[in-house]
Amino acid sequence: MKRTTGWLLLTPALALTGILLIGLGWMLELSLHTLNIATYRLNPEYTVENYATILSRPVTWTVMARTLGGAALVTLATLILAIPYAYLLVRTPSAFTRKALLIALFLPFFIGQVVRAYGWLIILGREGLANDIITGLGLPPQDLLFNYGTVVFGLVQYMLPFAVLLLVPALSAIPEDVERASEGLGAGWPQTFWFVLIPMAGPGLIGASVVVFTLTVTDFAMPEILGGGTQDFFASLIYDAFFQISNAGLGAALALLLTAVGSLIVAVIFALAGTGTLGFRSAR
Amino acid sequence: MKLTRRTLLRTTAAGAGVLAMPAVLRAQEPEKPSEIIVRAWGGAWGDALKAGVADPFTAATGIPVRLDFTEDNEIKPKIWAAVDQGRVPPIHVNWDTSTNATISALRGACVDLSDLSNLEGLLPLHKPVGLEGYPLVNTYAYVYVCAYRPEAFPDGAPDSWSVLIDEKFKGRIALYDDGIGFNPIAVIAGGGTFDDIPGNMEPGYEFYRKLKANEPLLGEDPDFTSWFQNGEIDVACTISVNARAARTSGINVEWTVPKEGCKVDTDGLWIPKGLPANEEYWAKEFINLALTEDVQKNWCGQLGLPPVFPGIEPPADLVGDPSYPTSPEDFAALVSVPTPILVENQPLWFAKFSEIFQG
Repeated sequence: MKRTTGWLLLTPALALTGILLIGLGWMLELSLHTLNIATYRLNPEYTVENYATILSRPVTWTVMARTLGGAALVTLATLILAIPYAYLLVRTPSAFTRKALLIALFLPFFIGQVVRAYGWLIILGREGLANDIITGLGLPPQDLLFNYGTVVFGLVQYMLPFAVLLLVPALSAIPEDVERASEGLGAGWPQTFWFVLIPMAGPGLIGASVVVFTLTVTDFAMPEILGGGTQDFFASLIYDAFFQISNAGLGAALALLLTAVGSLIVAVIFALAGTGTLGFRSAR
Repeated sequence: MKLTRRTLLRTTAAGAGVLAMPAVLRAQEPEKPSEIIVRAWGGAWGDALKAGVADPFTAATGIPVRLDFTEDNEIKPKIWAAVDQGRVPPIHVNWDTSTNATISALRGACVDLSDLSNLEGLLPLHKPVGLEGYPLVNTYAYVYVCAYRPEAFPDGAPDSWSVLIDEKFKGRIALYDDGIGFNPIAVIAGGGTFDDIPGNMEPGYEFYRKLKANEPLLGEDPDFTSWFQNGEIDVACTISVNARAARTSGINVEWTVPKEGCKVDTDGLWIPKGLPANEEYWAKEFINLALTEDVQKNWCGQLGLPPVFPGIEPPADLVGDPSYPTSPEDFAALVSVPTPILVENQPLWFAKFSEIFQG
């Protein structure tokens, strides 16, 4: 491939990254100005006061811990559910089963996140379907909504199709012969799964983990709707700063903090797993 | 108040009368825009604005009114950016809290409304506080009441806001998600006095810490109705309009003003700068119509709120209701924090509220 052709192919990606960097630069500039309450405009002087404010507030770190902890839980739970789903989708000999799994996978993409969250409000509410079943069994109604567990549950349901879609190509790339060879050498299916399939599906697992983790870290709607206002993730803090108290400088500082922490975690994952696990390694 | 055909016709006729002018003058009317966009709150609020103001305006002028239900806090930066960049703003009229409207006025985003002919004779409540001229006009007062499910209170209405920290109602109480409407009340309920506001809010914060242990739900206007409807809560601090709307739709909800009082506030209308001259003219006409007697009676009657036009009788179900203040004595029984104090301190209160309830 000619050098110029390579650069030409890279142009769209460079343009997108450039726009992203311009946006980040603008956010950085905003974050260095404090709010003037007399005019509700940002002061022209440059200062790091917004950063000092957010770093010194305990609520920043409490919500950050809740967000990162939630993202880790959601990633783990999503992968545990996505792996068998993707495996069945790839290996099933039944065309009907494959189609049914594909329909079930793509159907949620037609329903937005907010609508799905409201669906859970109806199902899990005090007078919802779940409590109808519980009370039908003679048990007292349960408070199933507005807690951390419900937020994580809603996010797992939302993220599952993304994870499956990222795992399917990785599992498809593993020839069935490899599994048969493993079993031919005396390994049981659990051993084959753990020692052969999982390592070979590494690129898909890392890719799915990174996508689910980063989407969850920045999620707004599920914690907002299913959390009852007391289980906010970091995006809600950013929203409140920008819109509720009209302090764009503080909001920008919070947004950059989340970007920095999220990027650092992804960088650590890549450093530990190696970008080769994503299939970027040269074929030489 | 139910909108009958007779009421609509009367209101429309009144609107037409207000907007009517000699043919010579009408010929000088600026060109009519294809529509007027008014930012509004949804549910019972939007229904009342449509039936009470928008429909009569359309009937009188022929200009359709489109209600834009963008959240009030989200439209704010869009308008500010448009004004700062010299672009046409996304709406013609903003129906806003007086505090948010004042913030927009401080940023210089509002058109002066001093030339509206219907400002004369209104109650003093209509005048914005701490601002020059009329960058906004207040249109009614409203009260953040203590709304409750009567089944949960067999001995009668709660007489104190301390009900919110009663363990019996753990997980079954609700507030606005930024504490709006309750921040000053929390100070009094927490053992402080009105004079402590805004210098010493600590009694309020201490009350919030106890309240947090009682696991409240935090939400916005529509949440309260659905929470009451779905049996998720027994008691909430919410605007009387939401409680009344819930009751109108068949949910068994009552409201009261506890002994510590309730916060009373105002909403208003304002026009962002940067509209073409003809559109600004018709946006002003919209607000002017909203200040007429019949429109105020109809609009505010549907909301169940005391209007700024004097002498309008309350709806039958709200006669004598302390959440419908009409006299200076009624207002004195409620907690009113001047808008400039709210503008200066609300961001700090919101931040502290978030720190306590999210921390």
